[in-house]
Amino acid sequence: MDKPKREAILDLAKYVNERIRVKFTGGREVTGVLKGYDQLLNLVLDEVQENLQGLPEGQPTTRNLGLVVLRGPTITLLSPVDGYEEIANPFVAQE
Amino acid sequence: MLPLSLLNAAQNKPMLVELKNGETFNGHLVNCDNFMNITLREVYQTSAEGDKFWKLRECYIRGSTIKYLRVPDTLLDAVKEEQNRAREAGRSARGAHVSGAGQRGRGAPQRGRGMVRGGGPARGGRGRGRGM
Repeated sequence: MDKPKREAILDLAKYVNERIRVKFTGGREVTGVLKGYDQLLNLVLDEVQENLQGLPEGQPTTRNLGLVVLRGPTITLLSPVDGYEEIANPFVAQE
Repeated sequence: MLPLSLLNAAQNKPMLVELKNGETFNGHLVNCDNFMNITLREVYQTSAEGDKFWKLRECYIRGSTIKYLRVPDTLLDAVKEEQNRAREAGRSARGAHVSGAGQRGRGAPQRGRGMVRGGGPARGGRGRGRGM
């Protein structure tokens, strides 16, 4: 077997001072600038915007939360905002 | 064929990950750990309804939120081959280093003691029974 991996598989240092998108268990989603982190994936984000979902038309879709500590165990998804874009179905051409 | 060894062998391979909430992620596996936390690169994300699509440069997914991962079929053969090679290597290494006598010497007395302890009372019991 491989040696047990003690170090994190995600090097968050490369995202420091970069805007990242984080999803939580339960479906909430925020973006913010990464200011700090620990080995449990607890994060400190600044200029946080929560992306609100499931609201009626005409309602604001974001709200500003400012400086936030995010609890690692509730984070389900993490990706950089840079290079994130909605696109047309990329699978129709292949199938 | 362990799930996590297959996943470990899938590094740099394309895969599809579906989360419990129904969202799917198509991308190349960068890294994974024993919690099944994974990092992907060049990711296509699909909404749970299958009507929206996003492109992500890279992403980290918490293992406990994963429903399943689809990996290339060819991976199975690669891992089997790798396992066979590892087993062969392990067998020849053990044969060279550990003498058979050492292993048997430790095993035999234990087995012997067990037999005596187990057999003694049973035989005594049967004896008394027949006598009465």
